[in-house]
Amino acid sequence: MILTLLIGLPLLGALAVILFPATKAKLVALWGAGIPLIWNIWLFSQFDLGNSHFQWGESATWLPVLGLNYELGIDGLGLLMVALNTFLTWIAIYSARPDVDRPRLFYFLMLLTSSVISGAFLAQNFLLFFLFYEACLIPLYLLINIWGGERRSYAATKFLIYTAISGALILIGGFGLLWLGGAENFSYAALAKTSLPVQKQVLLLLPLAIGFGIKVPMVPLHTWLPDTYVAASTPVAIMLGGVLAKLGTYGLLRFGFSLLPDGWAVIAPWIAIWAAMTIIYCAFLAIVQRDIKRMVAYSSVSHMGYVLLGSAAGNDLSLSGCIAQMVAHGLVLAILFNLVGLIEAKVGSRELDQLNGLMNPVRGLPFVSATLLLGAMSSAGIPGLVSFAAEFAVFQGSYRVFHWQALMGVVGTGLTAVYFVILLNRTCFGRLDNQRAYFPKVSFNEKAPALILVTVIIALGVQPNWLFRWSEPREVKAIEIVPRNQQTVTLEDIGGLLLGSTEAPKIVD
Amino acid sequence: MATIVDIALKTPGFETLVAAVQAANLVETLQSEGPFTVFAPNDDAFAKLPPNTVNNLVQNPPQLGRILCYHVVSGLWDAAQLQTVSELVSVEGSPIPIRSHNPLEIKNATVLAEDVRASNGIIHVIDTVILMG
Amino acid sequence: MTAPLPPSTHPHADVIHRLEAGGSMLPDTPENLMQIIGIYKAYAVPMDFYWRDLLYIGERVFLEPLPFFKYFLSKPYLDRHNTYAGDQSTLRVWRGRGEAHPELMEFIDKGVSGRRLPRLLHHLGHDRINMEFAEACMRSMFWHEDINPKFNAYLYTEAYKTAADKAIKAYFKGNIAMLGLYKLFPEMFLEQVRQRSYYANLGLFWEVMAPVFFEMSDIYDEGGFKGVPDAMEFLVNGIFAVAGRPIYHHVYIGDECFEIIPKSAGFTWLYEAALPYVEAIFYRTTPFRGTKSYDAQMQQVPRDQADFHYGILYADVFPVGSAGIPPTLLMHDMMRFLPPYLEEYYHQHCRGEDDQLIQLGITFQRSMYNVTSAVIQALRAALYYPLDDSNPEHLMANRRFFEAQMDRLTRSEARLRDIQTADYR
Repeated sequence: MILTLLIGLPLLGALAVILFPATKAKLVALWGAGIPLIWNIWLFSQFDLGNSHFQWGESATWLPVLGLNYELGIDGLGLLMVALNTFLTWIAIYSARPDVDRPRLFYFLMLLTSSVISGAFLAQNFLLFFLFYEACLIPLYLLINIWGGERRSYAATKFLIYTAISGALILIGGFGLLWLGGAENFSYAALAKTSLPVQKQVLLLLPLAIGFGIKVPMVPLHTWLPDTYVAASTPVAIMLGGVLAKLGTYGLLRFGFSLLPDGWAVIAPWIAIWAAMTIIYCAFLAIVQRDIKRMVAYSSVSHMGYVLLGSAAGNDLSLSGCIAQMVAHGLVLAILFNLVGLIEAKVGSRELDQLNGLMNPVRGLPFVSATLLLGAMSSAGIPGLVSFAAEFAVFQGSYRVFHWQALMGVVGTGLTAVYFVILLNRTCFGRLDNQRAYFPKVSFNEKAPALILVTVIIALGVQPNWLFRWSEPREVKAIEIVPRNQQTVTLEDIGGLLLGSTEAPKIVD
Repeated sequence: MATIVDIALKTPGFETLVAAVQAANLVETLQSEGPFTVFAPNDDAFAKLPPNTVNNLVQNPPQLGRILCYHVVSGLWDAAQLQTVSELVSVEGSPIPIRSHNPLEIKNATVLAEDVRASNGIIHVIDTVILMG
Repeated sequence: MTAPLPPSTHPHADVIHRLEAGGSMLPDTPENLMQIIGIYKAYAVPMDFYWRDLLYIGERVFLEPLPFFKYFLSKPYLDRHNTYAGDQSTLRVWRGRGEAHPELMEFIDKGVSGRRLPRLLHHLGHDRINMEFAEACMRSMFWHEDINPKFNAYLYTEAYKTAADKAIKAYFKGNIAMLGLYKLFPEMFLEQVRQRSYYANLGLFWEVMAPVFFEMSDIYDEGGFKGVPDAMEFLVNGIFAVAGRPIYHHVYIGDECFEIIPKSAGFTWLYEAALPYVEAIFYRTTPFRGTKSYDAQMQQVPRDQADFHYGILYADVFPVGSAGIPPTLLMHDMMRFLPPYLEEYYHQHCRGEDDQLIQLGITFQRSMYNVTSAVIQALRAALYYPLDDSNPEHLMANRRFFEAQMDRLTRSEARLRDIQTADYR
């Protein structure tokens, strides 16, 4: 029941939102998101750090014919991801405009999304994971399409098509795992027992990598993201960038890294190159943007590259960094989207050319500017803020394995500083325009989400151990999985597999 | 022949000017050798100034004296000679522009009576008190 | 009056036509009238302190090497009767009392906190009038020396030097260290005395303005002003009435009075204080440190002092709140003495109490456009022709004068266009 509550409580909250009057919707939704958050915080205290296996397992038969069982479990990675989800859901609901249209439906869908994403993080069965993974598309599609900004239906449709393709590829990978490995059902435990030859692992990793790569997203599969993020309203953008993108990297770690370790070791250098490319390319794209929300969206893609880089390197330090970066990225993105949303709401523009002097102490948005500055500093990896520890661990860990890719990542943080300096310089500094600067006041309720996020960002930056300790047991296990010896697989091997050659290639020691 | 001060004293319509000259202790100066050219505002000219202006000046002789000195130019400048110049330098030190020669206009004042001869100079009667600046 | 002149083609033609009709640069609306009168009152109270303290520093503190207590106004100076207020006045501009304004006395006593603390604590807690603003104005007048040529030239005459020398020697009588320094660096001491002369100059100027503004506030409260032009007309008459007030600098050492600049030097309020003040403070001043970076290579700071344009007529009031910026200091002072109707007005607009400082700063800007209008109209009356003159050439001369004045307000920083609308707050 412990974990089912994490899925069930937001769902109950969603139902409660429907039952209460529309004027109370936000308050009810905050409780609906707050109770799971409190529950989640309590779970941290109960989590057994010495145990590297999944904890609090739950299991119920559902459709044994399909190999689909209701199996839940949690490890350090899952715990952090669910915590990120429940926390950001609460923040996202808090940062929703008080005058949002059709509030009951909106908050219902938000809580539904949160519940389903938690389900995906907790699932111990591939089919169950896939169900949750696909199920979150429906509320998100509606959230973008109904409450989005300009070109919202275009963006929502694009989002739907891309992620549907992503789902199809992941499904192929999952079924491949079952059939090629001959596991009895889709539960992770059963899948983990099978041992596939490395060529088949690589073959299975291809659809999985592309499928999750769309979700992360990775260049060149990222084109849905800027449109979607920009069209989505602030709370939805926080859910998309803060939480949903993590499903992609989570999936890669869970199914690629954990279940197909030999294949992962083979494609890891390519993943690392791919990650480095994403980091640099999207950082450059962010530099040339004129719309600050789009800039933040590209920054988000760029920073997901670090997660991938860390997971590709696959040693304990880089994995710690990778998981920490997933959380850090979620927190930083949430604060940036929240503040960009506030600026848009108050100033009425997101254009760099029109924004100016928001740091003005009396007539500008000094609080928003200051927190934006802090968020940008964290994103650029300034010590003392959460992203620093995460990115540093990623670089140090991955440099041992992939020198150039890691160095590219370091260059990427430099470029982060470049586009954030552009953003801050244009928006926050300079002279406030006398003709336009009659912005409404930012109320305390509007400031609160950023204030809370800032507190967490600083706290985890000063004491990164609070973030790192949870994922340590998992890595101990992870290191056992990854074979010590290097293996090489040539293109011919894969080609032979694809062409149906029965002869299994030799593993080179 | 009468001095500038004597003429002003005798002629009706210059009571304010005379009082001002006395208050500013300029009687002796204007009775001296000279020669001076004086642009003499009549009573109507003083009356055109906003209320209290003259009163306050009369209480402060040095300041009043400065304004009055602005109406005085050293040397003999009759109407014919004034036609040849566009600016004079007053005893006060500031320049006095001559904005029009026909009719003769000294700064923003119009000359009502030209060339009143005195023993130590010439008087031109003007309709406005002229001020520096 | 029907103007036989063709319409002006100046960018500020609308304002020029209004000036020609006897109006102000500030549009005549009840809202504008309410704002400017309210702020005049709020300005007059700290000004009542400024002039007293400026004279106190010029006359009493004089060359005190460590003037820690120069803002601690002595009782005689608080009780000193304003020359233009109170029943002892010969030219009574304000019908109120001659001593310091009651609101000012209460503020000095209790501060904003409302607690009666030792004065030193009020001072250190910055719960006091920001005299730094008055000193910044004085320095600005002192630095823009070209705008006050006669007065400035006098500061370098033998008469001035002799008088200053006597005063310096008397002030430091028995103080061998300071006298020795004076022997070594006489010019340094003279320069300090010159600055004190400007203290006196500005003090005497503001001694006039404070009762003028108090009286305007009283007239408004009695329903006396029908519009902005009435308020401007009152100022024009005030300017003429006290134009001849002597500007002097007396120093009191013990019971002895040293006339550094005697009244007999003939300096007048209008020429040696008011007009230079308007030029130095409303138009020129200096860029305020801390609000903006200026690029010298881009020639963002003019090479020629006469082209300086950092006064209230050009000021960007938005970046207030930073410490030490003179206009912000003044706004803080004014905020403490706002009349209730103005406070309520600010509550209804923009961010209410939060940006009151900016709102009142912009009101102040409006009110100073009105004061500048009064100065322009006074100069027009003094140097040019009546508005109803029958001679078209005279009217044309007036037009050219107004156009020349408006030319100064065509640069992009000028707020003349902004104050034409009510939305600029």
